[in-house]
Amino acid sequence: MDAEDIELSDDEEEITAESVLKTLQNAWQNERLAPEILPHHNDMVECMLGQIQHMERNINKLPKTDLRSCIHKMELNRIKYIICNYLKTRLGKIEKYCIAIVNEEKQRIEAGTNYLTPSEFRYAQEYITNMESHLKNTILNHVPGNMQSFELNKMAIYPNFYCHVFLKANETINGIILEDLLGDQDEEIDIEEDSQHILQYKPIADLVKNGKVQLV
Amino acid sequence: MDPFEIEFIGENRIVSIIPNFSHDKIYLICGEFGPFRAGLPMNVPLWLAVMLKQKQKCRIVPPDWMDMEVLENIKEEEKRSRFFTKMPHEHYMVEAKLLLGAAAEDIPRASEVKTIIKDIWDIRMSKLRTSMDALMKSGGSYGRLDHLTMMEINSVKPLLPQAMDELHKIKMMTRTSASATLNNSTFTQSGSSQNI
Amino acid sequence: MFGEKVIELLKEAERNSDTIDLYNDEKIRQIIQEMHILFKMNMDDANATTENKSLWTTVQVRHSALERNKRCLLAYLYNRMNKIKTLRWEFGSVLPPDVRELLSDSEYEWFSKYSTNLASYMRSLGEDIGYSGIDLTENLRPPKSLYIEVLCVTDYGKLELEDGDVIMLKKNSRHYLPTEECQTLIRQGVLKQII
Repeated sequence: MDAEDIELSDDEEEITAESVLKTLQNAWQNERLAPEILPHHNDMVECMLGQIQHMERNINKLPKTDLRSCIHKMELNRIKYIICNYLKTRLGKIEKYCIAIVNEEKQRIEAGTNYLTPSEFRYAQEYITNMESHLKNTILNHVPGNMQSFELNKMAIYPNFYCHVFLKANETINGIILEDLLGDQDEEIDIEEDSQHILQYKPIADLVKNGKVQLV
Repeated sequence: MDPFEIEFIGENRIVSIIPNFSHDKIYLICGEFGPFRAGLPMNVPLWLAVMLKQKQKCRIVPPDWMDMEVLENIKEEEKRSRFFTKMPHEHYMVEAKLLLGAAAEDIPRASEVKTIIKDIWDIRMSKLRTSMDALMKSGGSYGRLDHLTMMEINSVKPLLPQAMDELHKIKMMTRTSASATLNNSTFTQSGSSQNI
Repeated sequence: MFGEKVIELLKEAERNSDTIDLYNDEKIRQIIQEMHILFKMNMDDANATTENKSLWTTVQVRHSALERNKRCLLAYLYNRMNKIKTLRWEFGSVLPPDVRELLSDSEYEWFSKYSTNLASYMRSLGEDIGYSGIDLTENLRPPKSLYIEVLCVTDYGKLELEDGDVIMLKKNSRHYLPTEECQTLIRQGVLKQII
C-alpha cells in the first residue's frame, strides 16, 4: 500500500503527501492562533482528502485483524482531526465576523486574492441572509417605523488585530515596527530564525500569511 | 489551544522502539517506517510507538535525554541560569508523559526520571512567572521567549497575552484622552468667544 | 423607567450562560410595546418642539431609550443564536422535543436554515475530487485509541456497528466500542467514556 506522491500543477514540482500534511498542520496551527481568518489552503485539504480516500479503499481490502489496518486507521483519524478542526475553526471565524469578512472578501475576489473558498463564501453570505431574516421576523419588523432597518455596519464584529500572539520565526526577518503608543519612539526589531516572541498580531499579520513566521 | 492538542502535535515526534515482530515497511502518509525486524531498534512516530506498546508489540528505547545523569545536568543548568535553557526538544514534556505513562517498565529509574522532569518543569514555570511579571512591569508590549517549549508557552495562555491586550487598551485610552486635552487647549487658545 | 424591562431580559439570559432558556415571548412583546409608546410620545412632542424648545431634551432621551431597547433586543437574539448554533453541533439536525420547545418559531426556522447551510457546506467539501463530503461535527477530539470503554447511561436499545455486529445498549451496561462510532452517542449523553 502506497501513499502516492502528488503533483501540483502550479509549481510543476513534485510534492510528497508527507510535505502536504506538514504544511496543512502548520496552516491549522496558524488558523487556530490568529485572530483573523487566513487565506485558505483548499488545495492542501483536497489533496489530503484524496489521500484518505485512496488509503481507506486499501484498508478495506486488508483482513480486519491485520496490524497495518489499525495503524493506517489511526493515522487517518489523526489527519481527519486536523482537517475537521481546521475547517471548523474557519467556520467559527466566518460566523463571528461574517459581515466584515464578506465585505472584505468582495474586494479581495475582485483583486483575485480571495481568502475564502467558494463554498465558504457562499456559506458566509447565506449565514448573513439567515441572520437578517430572523432578526427582521422577530424584532425589526415589529418596532416603530423608522427603527426597522437592519444596520449591517452596526452589527459587524471585527477581529482584534491588536491582540498579542506568540510566534516562532521560520527565517530571519529585519525591521518589524512596534508602535509606541505613548511616545513617538516606535521601536524596530529584528527576529532571528528559530527565535520566539510575544507581540501584537498587527505588525506580523503578513508574515503569518506568507509563512515567514509560525504562530505557537 | 487545549493541552490535549499540544499533546497531539507532540505525538508526531520520532522515537525509537524495538518491535517483537517482523513486518515489511509501512507506507504512511506522514512517511515510511520499517521494515520491522523483531529485536532490532527502529524509528516510528510517538503515537505509533504508544499504540504498539499498548498492543504489547514492542519495547520502547528510552530517548537519550531520558537518563538521570543527563537530567541532573539539565536541572542544575536550569537552576543556575537566569534564562531559560534549551530543553532536549520542543516536546520533551509530551514525550515524557506518554512514554512514562505507557512504558514505565522500559525506562530505567522511571519514577526518579518522572520526578526530576517535574522538578525541571517547576523551576521553569517559576522562572516564567517572574519573567511575566517583569514583562508587564516594563510596559508589556513585546517579549522574547527563546527556548520555551510549546506546552510551556501554552500554559501562560490566555493570561499573559490578555494582560498585554488590556495594557494596550489602557495605553490607547490614555493617548486618546491626552490628545483630547490637547485639542481642547488648542481650542481655548484660539481665543474664540463662542459659548458652547 | 424606560429600558428597565430590556435589562431584566438580558440579565435573565446572562444567568445561565451555558444553557439556553425558554424564549421570553411575553417580555419581548412588552418591550416592543414600550417602544411604540415612546415613539408615539416623541412624534407628538417633536411637532411641538418648534414652539417649545424645552421639549427637545425629552425627545432626545426617549430616542436614546428607543435605540437602547432595539440594541438590547438584538443582543438578546444574537446571544441565543450562538447558543442555538451549538445545539446543531451537539444534537445534529434533529432537536430533541424538550430542547425544541425552548425556541421560538422564528428561532426554530433559523435553526433549520443554519442546519441546511452547514449541511450543504459540509457536502461540498472535496466534491471536486469525488469525495462525498465530511461531517465536521465528528472528530471533535484528537484520536487517542481506536477503541474506548463506555458506560451506557440510558436504555437506548440496539446499535448496529459498521462491521455488522449488533449490540444492545442497556442502562449501566459497559462496552468496548470503536471510538469513531460512539462519538455521537457520547455527545447526546447516551454513553459516557470510562477513563
